[in-house]
Amino acid sequence: MNIAVLIKQVPVSNDVSVDPETHALVRASSEGMVNPADLNAIEEAMLLKEQTGGKVVVFTMGPPDAEKALRDAMALGCDESCLVTDRAVAGGDTVATAKVLAAAIRKYGQFDLILGGALSADGATGQVGAMVAECLDIPHVVEAQGIKYDTDKADRIVAVKKFHDKKLSIRCALPAMISFNFGCNEPRLATLRTKRAAKSKPLVTYTNADLGLPLDEVGIAGSPTAVVDSFSPKAGRKAAMLEGTAAELAKKLYDLIEEEKGK
Amino acid sequence: MANGICVYAESYKGKLEPVAAELVSAAKEIQKTTGEKIQAIVLAEDPDGIAAELDRLGVEEIYAVNAGRDCSQQDDAVSAAISEMLEKIAPSSVLIPATPEGRSIFSRVAMKLGCGLTADCTEVLVGTKEDGSYYIKQNKPSFGENVFVTIITRDGYYPQMMTVRPGVYVPQEEASGGQATVEYFEDIKVGDSKIEVIEEAEAENETGSILGAEVVVVGGRGVLEDDNFALLEKFAEKVGGAIGGTRPMVDSEMIPFNHQIGQTGLTIRPKICISFGVSGAIQHTEGIKDTKLFVAVNTDEDAAIFGVADYGITADLKDILENYLTI
Repeated sequence: MNIAVLIKQVPVSNDVSVDPETHALVRASSEGMVNPADLNAIEEAMLLKEQTGGKVVVFTMGPPDAEKALRDAMALGCDESCLVTDRAVAGGDTVATAKVLAAAIRKYGQFDLILGGALSADGATGQVGAMVAECLDIPHVVEAQGIKYDTDKADRIVAVKKFHDKKLSIRCALPAMISFNFGCNEPRLATLRTKRAAKSKPLVTYTNADLGLPLDEVGIAGSPTAVVDSFSPKAGRKAAMLEGTAAELAKKLYDLIEEEKGK
Repeated sequence: MANGICVYAESYKGKLEPVAAELVSAAKEIQKTTGEKIQAIVLAEDPDGIAAELDRLGVEEIYAVNAGRDCSQQDDAVSAAISEMLEKIAPSSVLIPATPEGRSIFSRVAMKLGCGLTADCTEVLVGTKEDGSYYIKQNKPSFGENVFVTIITRDGYYPQMMTVRPGVYVPQEEASGGQATVEYFEDIKVGDSKIEVIEEAEAENETGSILGAEVVVVGGRGVLEDDNFALLEKFAEKVGGAIGGTRPMVDSEMIPFNHQIGQTGLTIRPKICISFGVSGAIQHTEGIKDTKLFVAVNTDEDAAIFGVADYGITADLKDILENYLTI
């Protein structure tokens, strides 16, 4: 089975603030990492590869330094990687980004499964996976907890998903797109040896010209939505503030808890 | 000309989801300025009862498709039918619950209609363009709630679609109804799907985890210092609570990931919640709902957590914990 995994390089820290003058985002650090939920998707891909064979190709769209995230993914066992990097595709919203990722997958080859993390740690829209599925005209199950594959029934996969208070087993025809919740499994760790091996694994770079998408369909120009302002969260206070020494405060806390427990 | 504020009436097992009433409230706020009709779309196995509920909420135009089957999770087929509905109704804006179902269906709808989809709005406001026409300012948190951004749907893209976070708007109360027009689109069918729910089991009993706990003690970044975590553990034991954590605690492997609360973790409904050293990124407080008592301890008196807690204590968590343990 050939599996594509979509990953995103996200900032290590969400410590950003808004410059009160320019309204520009000020980042504490520019360091990037693989989005945590994407590691869960990579783990699912590796488990499936161990079961069925085939190859796992990891895709991302981002600046040239997103290569680091791809190398990290290959250090976890992904076989090949594909980076779409081009100023023309930068700054796109979920719609414009999904078009680019879908085009990259299509150009790269045939895949039975497209996997990804359910939400990113920064934007957290949870939309790109289903949008890619729509572009590729394949079914999707998002926010899954796991998958089961039976080699005797090679044309389908079963996704396990929590929905309301139920645990659903959802059968989905292949090819399909599945996204996984953060924490649904325990991702494996890279070792010194796998990190070294990752350095020589294939990394293909596509520009928008390679994908052949019209310039008015990608990046900022191709985005139906636009960010027009940013601001700091409203400071509001609902809490009744308790006063006193640490001992008095601890006692007040104790009384509040005991009173509520007694209700 | 696109007109109308359209709410996606998410339903589950034949009942309207409570979040729909919240979206009707949001739509009424928009209506105060734009004067547009409030519409709702419902697609279900048996939409009659759901349509009646929408009528009682004060929705003026209800558009329904009888799916003829339970099509839960069949979002490939459902999104196609909903796209057809929206093309017929041609609303100027569509409000969707920011739920797993809302995200899943409308991501595909946005692609099919070639319009945008803004995720997880916490506020929708009306703005006025130079030509006097209205647009929706879609405010949403980003970077784990540290920043809010305003997003607009650019000219030339219709409708303006956005998901709205549950729990933000006060639900519209039901009245006697009887005012709404209900239109069934008989010609729109939910087509075949490549997806089928083959088993529905009760979700596993999570006793012993924080899901069922009546008292939850939450630690943030501040708990990572010194031996504060050991104090937190003793405190949790004393109050009979389970420990939940924010991402820094999970990342530092102090607590297992299945105890992470918030955006990417769990939503919990404890009776009592005490937080220590949580600065108040709301993606964390969002993970805690319906508490009867929520006390926050933080050294920063301006911490955002005091915007959501019932009681606040400005102090070093170590001092409070040490004193508490002597009681």
